[in-house]
Amino acid sequence: MRAFEHLNATSVEEALAAIGEDWQTRLVAGGTDLVPLMKKDVIAPSRLVNLKTASELANVDFSDEAGLTVGALATLDDVGRYPPVRRHYRVLAEAISVAASPQLRNMATLAGNLCQTSRCWYFRNIFFCWLKGGEKCYAADGENRIHAIFGGGPCYSAHPSDPAPALVALGAELTLYDGKGGSRSMPVESFYALPADDRRRETILRPNELVARIRVATPPQEARGVYLKAMARGVWAFPLASVAVQGVWDGPMAREISIVLGGVAPIPWRAKQAENVVRGQPVDGGVARRAGEAAVAGAQPLRDNGYKMELVRTLVERALVSAAAPQARHHPVA
Amino acid sequence: MAELAAKPPSWLVPRGPGRTAIQLVVNGAEYTLAVQPRRTLLEALRDNLHLTGTKRGCGLGQCGACTVLLDGKPVYSCLILAIECEGRRIETIEGLERDGQLHPIQQAFLEADAFQCGFCTSGQIMAVKGLLDSHAEPTPEEVKRAVSGNLCRCGAYPNIVHAGLLAAERMGRGR
Amino acid sequence: MAKVVKTQVEFEGRMLEQAALLQGPQPPHWPQEASLEVVGTSALRIDGFERVTGRARYSCDVHPPGMLCGRILRSPFPHARIVSIDASRAELLPGVRALLTSTNAPAIRWKDGKLILDSLLSFEGDEVAAVAADDAETADDALSLINVQYEELPFVLDPEEALQLDAPKVHPSGNLMGGKPRVYDRGDIKRGLSEAEVTLEESFHTQTALHNALETHGSVTQWIGKELTIWDSTQGIFAIRSEVAEILGIPLNQVRVIAEYVGGGFGAKQETGKYTVLAALLSRMTGRPVQILLSRWEENLSTGCRHPTTQRVKLGAKRDGTLTAIDLHCVVPVGSYGYAGSVDGPARGLYQCPNVHTGLYAVRTNEGPARAFRAPGYAEGSFALECAMDLMAEKLGMDPLELRLKNYADKDPMTGHDYSSNKLREAYQLAAEKIGWSSRNPRAGQTAQNAPLTTRKRGLGMASQLWGGGGGPPANAVVKLNPDGSADVITGVQDIGTGTRTGLAQVAAEALGLPLSAIRVTAGDTRDAPFGPTSGGSQTLSSAGPAVRSAAMDAQEQLLDVASQLTKLPRERLEVRDGFVYDGRSPGQRKSVAELLGAFDNLMIVGVGSRGPNPVGYSLRTFGAQFAEVEVDVETGRVRVLKLVAVHDCGRVVNPMLVRGQLLGGITQGIGYALTEERAMDRQTGRVLNPDLEEYLIPTVLDIPEIDANVLNQVDPHTNNLGAKGIGEPPIIPTAPAIANAVYNATGVPFTSIPLAIHQVIRKRSVP
Repeated sequence: MRAFEHLNATSVEEALAAIGEDWQTRLVAGGTDLVPLMKKDVIAPSRLVNLKTASELANVDFSDEAGLTVGALATLDDVGRYPPVRRHYRVLAEAISVAASPQLRNMATLAGNLCQTSRCWYFRNIFFCWLKGGEKCYAADGENRIHAIFGGGPCYSAHPSDPAPALVALGAELTLYDGKGGSRSMPVESFYALPADDRRRETILRPNELVARIRVATPPQEARGVYLKAMARGVWAFPLASVAVQGVWDGPMAREISIVLGGVAPIPWRAKQAENVVRGQPVDGGVARRAGEAAVAGAQPLRDNGYKMELVRTLVERALVSAAAPQARHHPVA
Repeated sequence: MAELAAKPPSWLVPRGPGRTAIQLVVNGAEYTLAVQPRRTLLEALRDNLHLTGTKRGCGLGQCGACTVLLDGKPVYSCLILAIECEGRRIETIEGLERDGQLHPIQQAFLEADAFQCGFCTSGQIMAVKGLLDSHAEPTPEEVKRAVSGNLCRCGAYPNIVHAGLLAAERMGRGR
Repeated sequence: MAKVVKTQVEFEGRMLEQAALLQGPQPPHWPQEASLEVVGTSALRIDGFERVTGRARYSCDVHPPGMLCGRILRSPFPHARIVSIDASRAELLPGVRALLTSTNAPAIRWKDGKLILDSLLSFEGDEVAAVAADDAETADDALSLINVQYEELPFVLDPEEALQLDAPKVHPSGNLMGGKPRVYDRGDIKRGLSEAEVTLEESFHTQTALHNALETHGSVTQWIGKELTIWDSTQGIFAIRSEVAEILGIPLNQVRVIAEYVGGGFGAKQETGKYTVLAALLSRMTGRPVQILLSRWEENLSTGCRHPTTQRVKLGAKRDGTLTAIDLHCVVPVGSYGYAGSVDGPARGLYQCPNVHTGLYAVRTNEGPARAFRAPGYAEGSFALECAMDLMAEKLGMDPLELRLKNYADKDPMTGHDYSSNKLREAYQLAAEKIGWSSRNPRAGQTAQNAPLTTRKRGLGMASQLWGGGGGPPANAVVKLNPDGSADVITGVQDIGTGTRTGLAQVAAEALGLPLSAIRVTAGDTRDAPFGPTSGGSQTLSSAGPAVRSAAMDAQEQLLDVASQLTKLPRERLEVRDGFVYDGRSPGQRKSVAELLGAFDNLMIVGVGSRGPNPVGYSLRTFGAQFAEVEVDVETGRVRVLKLVAVHDCGRVVNPMLVRGQLLGGITQGIGYALTEERAMDRQTGRVLNPDLEEYLIPTVLDIPEIDANVLNQVDPHTNNLGAKGIGEPPIIPTAPAIANAVYNATGVPFTSIPLAIHQVIRKRSVP
């Protein structure tokens, strides 16, 4: 790890005052993504601003009127164990329960989890890849079994977060503060954008901004959702593919539906065609299967990751069947 | 918001990149040490304080050997900077045994043969302690989940789960 | 009088001629019916307290005053030449105390004719430079200030390509190790194949696996005068001592190697690493202790791997299942400085088959070295052979277990010798019963519970295990009996986590007639210890245990002499049990050892012992069988092992609890090998993509099924004086093929490569 200077921000204001206009200054909360990136010399900031000392950001609140509010310092564990989250936001609770390991959930914040960057093994190793500012994506014609089947090019990373697809499916909103005293809010879905030549990142976060909070409105009484993840071992692995399903149900009929995929595109990936198949339909095996098929429409697998299409088909089908049946037993690991 | 953020930053004094004095409270004892901001808690424990019971397996939060309790919760000490642990309660394996008397979790690990090489053991024990401190009567599933962030390359897992349950039973009896 | 004898010793599939020096008495075998009080019990580990308290001192925990932190700069390319290297900025960095590059390092010869810091680099991670600094941060900074210009050279990773004439040369003598394949012939393979009524030909592939012992390789070195002390994370303290002495040109008695506790090895820690020698050189330059501990990344690039294999297997059989031919063609890339395991071992020795041909091509490539990894070669070879046997059984319409029994080897097929003992038949039988083999559906993929609409299919599979583990000389031991009735057992072995200290203490307690609590075992320090073998080849206990018993017997005989002279009772009437000397004629009469010896000041009895030769005309092997039940979700590709039954035969069991631990551990690693572990290599750049534990996935607690671990505990009447053989490596051997065969049984799709990871299972399923 390279040398840097460090300061503790005791409030949001201090953090914002210390924040810079470039990525040489980084905010650190859980540190579970930042520290390994620095140890592996993927990034080398000259200054870290510790947010953990700004305790005002640690809140997790819920009320029927305001819904769920998660401050920047709330850990995955804080959120995942919060009773209202288990009650009203099952898809999020499930996504958190299958993310990372207990220790990482104790350290990592939900906000930081949303900001985490690519887990691509080229990006994380000594390759000067496109996402780092280089010429090419090594995965495009390299070892790409863990990579994207949607939205790839120029970068083929697969989005690693479990909570992110859940929050997108829930229509969550995120608020950013910036160092100039401004703020902006947006749906979590719009926080993500496919990396482009002028922005080699997976989010629209600017260097002088911090994620202050995440808000999720109280879902209607008839809302229900599940998360389903395929991973290479029983626990503590990034998703090979995952799906968050959140619907408003009228019996088995999906009045409204969100189907969001993880692990298959550089950002959480909304399966709009699958949603169109399901919306307004009573979900049975046939509809679920058709939705699974629709979910992979437009996929562009690389040499080694065609199996992810099979995974997406199956996960979407199974998650829809689970979500449609309130009493169904559901385990979030496929 | 706006007026606060406009405050000049000059009063914020960064530390580092060279060594700076920090205070850590480890197993109830207070230590002052000089570290660069880039030194992790794991390195501070091992190299500054010579508390070498906490092990480094990977340095990247991928194995669990460095697990300690921070304010009562299991964390990977290789991923947290020492400078960010000031004012927090740090518990390591060295804090468990007293005067040759093993903590019930340690005794259970010994009796259940819940280790082979022993290199992951401190981390496993601290993960179990984190569970039992908040969860006196765990189910086997809960014990498994609690140590699911601790790799054991020697493969003592069934015995580790057994040790966790054995310790819970004995500690429960002691209450 | 000391006597020199010659004997055959097997090590990881290779037969070696060994000279043994017989010192001390050679005790008779403990027969099956011997009533032993300490040996055979599940005694708790005598070093458990240290291990559960964090007090156990591993080499990485050693911190002599003034210690510097050493770091190594490594090649980012798989094949390159250093054009220039400029370390001047690093040298000027405050806190940097010494720096070694190819320009200033002593011309120490390493393997393959290269220098320790050579300008020619032959794999990603090859050593370029080393630095010692006041602290880790300074050492890290120094590395980043070394400016190296590389000339990238063409490289080769694929062993078939490496065998082409125009391939880049990894070694001047050529890429095929030894210049020719290793060939074995028994009978006439052509005739065997032509006599066959049913033949099977299939290619199998196994992956590169990484050891990932949780303690990485590393050394702390310190010179005091001309004497070098090395704290090393090693499986062989005496191997390191002799190698380092030779490399540095100093006498053996000026190198002391200490490995008090070792955080796992699994085969990768059997030889001296460059980091050890570099640390010693940096230490000598600075006059200060130097620590070099490898990072996980360095570990996984440079310290060894289980090599991948491509194996073409041809089997020929009569319709009744009698094998007429086993033909194995095997190509193994061993990297740079690596070597091949005995992949051909199972094909040669597992079945009674008159015609066998094996050819093993060990090929150098521009990758990190292949090293021994728990049952090197046999784990890979058993996967191919045992999966081929199931395919053959399917062709013959035979039960796979029946096919194996049909070709059961009652004698060692390679030598014609009797086995010293062989309980494989009993292992098959017990394991089959325990898993419910009779309920297995004979037709793959068609079981009753596998209704067509179910996506989760269950199946049963099995595989056999053959391995050595008989051990042999040389191994020595010293037992000091103290005046208070306690004893020190001094050995030159090391306990890498298997429980060696505890097992040896049990042997000593039994042989001395003392309680286990009276025994202390010294291991892991060459200075004052007699020779002990490397912990490899499953031979630590079967080599060192008989030596400890010999030394203990020597000590006990002296104790009886003393007791006889003091009590005036005839020596033959006296016996020692549980810390007391009894008069055999009047069992009520006893005197404690402490009382006897304590009558004199500092009367110490010193017993000396050695491992005797192996029996002539016997083949010393271990056996076992594992049966697996799996569930395959054919849509998600996930394979779950539901249950694994293991029954192994390693002769007498000295400590059932410790042996069970070895079974659990081997099976757990076997499950990782079967399902999730695979080093990923970028073929375009020759760089490893997952040299960490994020994408190299070793099993967690939630990946382990119910494991029913059993050993037969039948004393081997002919092997060493304990009747015990090794069990460290055997349990990993049959796990992967048992699982793969169960997946075949569940799905009807033969899987011929591992790991059976999700992407592989789905891909295979999609290809008709």
